[in-house]
Amino acid sequence: MTIEHQAPLLQVNNISWSAEKRCILQNIQFSIEQGKFVGLIGPNGAGKSSLMRCLYGVNRPGRGQILFRGKDIWRCSAKENARKIAVILQEQSEHLGLSVYEVVALALTPHKKLFEWDSAEDHQRILEVLQEQDLLPFKDRLFAYLSGGEKQRVMLARAMLQGPELLIMDEPTNHLDVHYQLEVLQKVKREVRAGRLTVLASFHDLNLAAAFCDQIIVLQKGRITVHGSPAEVLTETMISEVFQTCAWVDQHPLDKHPRITYGYHHG
Amino acid sequence: MAIIMAKQTLLYLLISVLAILSVICSLSFGAIDISFNTLIKWLLQSIGFSTDIELIEARIIEELRLPRLILAFLAGAGLSLAGAVLQMVTRNPLADPYLFGISSGASFGAVLIIALLSGYGAVWLDQDLMQLGITGGAFIGSALSVLLVLAFAGNGLQIERMLLAGVAVSFMFAAATSLVLYQIDAQAVSALLFWTMGSFTRANWDNLGMPVFIVLLCLTLFLGFSRQMRTALAGDENARSLGVEIHRLRISMLLLSSLMTAVLVANSGGIGFVGLMIPHIIRRVLQRFSRFFFFSCALFGGCFMVWIDVLARTLMDDQELPIGIITAAIGSFFFLVVLRQRTRRI
Repeated sequence: MTIEHQAPLLQVNNISWSAEKRCILQNIQFSIEQGKFVGLIGPNGAGKSSLMRCLYGVNRPGRGQILFRGKDIWRCSAKENARKIAVILQEQSEHLGLSVYEVVALALTPHKKLFEWDSAEDHQRILEVLQEQDLLPFKDRLFAYLSGGEKQRVMLARAMLQGPELLIMDEPTNHLDVHYQLEVLQKVKREVRAGRLTVLASFHDLNLAAAFCDQIIVLQKGRITVHGSPAEVLTETMISEVFQTCAWVDQHPLDKHPRITYGYHHG
Repeated sequence: MAIIMAKQTLLYLLISVLAILSVICSLSFGAIDISFNTLIKWLLQSIGFSTDIELIEARIIEELRLPRLILAFLAGAGLSLAGAVLQMVTRNPLADPYLFGISSGASFGAVLIIALLSGYGAVWLDQDLMQLGITGGAFIGSALSVLLVLAFAGNGLQIERMLLAGVAVSFMFAAATSLVLYQIDAQAVSALLFWTMGSFTRANWDNLGMPVFIVLLCLTLFLGFSRQMRTALAGDENARSLGVEIHRLRISMLLLSSLMTAVLVANSGGIGFVGLMIPHIIRRVLQRFSRFFFFSCALFGGCFMVWIDVLARTLMDDQELPIGIITAAIGSFFFLVVLRQRTRRI
């Protein structure tokens, strides 16, 4: 008899993916436990976005498997996956002519059958998530005319309404000012702490990754080079090797996570 | 919410009034004007009362005006729906079955079948089979042009590239159509006008079944897929992550629209710009993509086309204008307005 361990929420088994005959991702292998906030870091062009696209069903890996609770996501329908995995993309398309309310309402698509319309209850829930992100005054504005930060909050509201187990965020703080960077990440982290959500997010800002992630994966030239807790991963040697940047790492004065200081004019 | 509801109610009230007015005007205007009194008499007669309506007037209404009214309505409704769907699944606000070359592809397919059948002296073919063959040819032509436009436009669905590809495909098929028509008959000008500009003169009861069926079928399916099509507006990656098999949706909706366009072209020729205008107008009024969107497009588009037909019959004293001349005159102006708004936004 074997002892059954609970399968990790997401298991990536040795996947490779290439575009235009160039190998972008090679033998990627990692898993994400439920209730963790996992960060993905690496230099530009390392393949962070490509890897994430594999996970939400845009890039089909040439080799390997991606298992969500033990089930191959490429054998499930897009609709089935969308009920479990929500995505916040790095760049938002124009959402042609849709208002903020309509964009958030799109979150219901994977939960509805053909010919099924929004109920009064759905309408209420849409208003609630808009309220949570302070977006109620914007609800009838065109999505295309919002600022980058407002768009990102709309996307967060949409992802929350989608009700996923795993949230994938590609550069979630890209367009946000410091205030909203922290607010968005704190909101997501609260959901993670409460056990309602698991997150995989890519970061350029290593200090944000250090502050919010439980684990960090380093991607370099399409391969995973390091995978561990922030303290294990974010070292001076790693930063100088992977990012070719000189940095000092000590401890954040308030919390216990690493703090990175760059030598802007030195080295 | 309340404002939106009020707006919707107002819109429906307007459309209903418009619809009734359209029916009355369409039945009464024409080469012979039929008075409102006569129409009432005809209505009473058709529900069983006996009136002193003249036989000739009753026959004009029943055999000429009514099938023509229905065909015009169907063409308007169908082309508006096709335009709305094209605009959504290609995320192109300037999409229209005519501008994308779908109508001219359909015209070419239909004309080619006619040429082949008449070339082989297919007198033994009965009328229904002939019509079915023409419709089939139109569908193959329209599907071909959709695939050509998608292929030429390449990945990314850039609005300008798709439009240019559509125009090129449209010219290509238009040239091929004229070539075939002049092969059959060197004086084929009236046929050419029909296939490129459209007309409802060929409407008769025998041929209405197919358009009625297809337009109703497409309306139903579009209503069913409306949420997915709305999600497609968010871009391919977003749509995919929201559970929409975007490529499958795009191809199936495009083929469905081209099937509907083909059936309409086989019956009323190529009519442009209606599919561009109506969805924009409805979108302005409704503000929000509601479940009424497709329904309103169909209803409003139908009424609009009935009016265009009335204009076509009455603008010139002793002659009928091709429908496409009027829609193109209004539509190209509309196109420029939309284009201007787009560039201003960028």
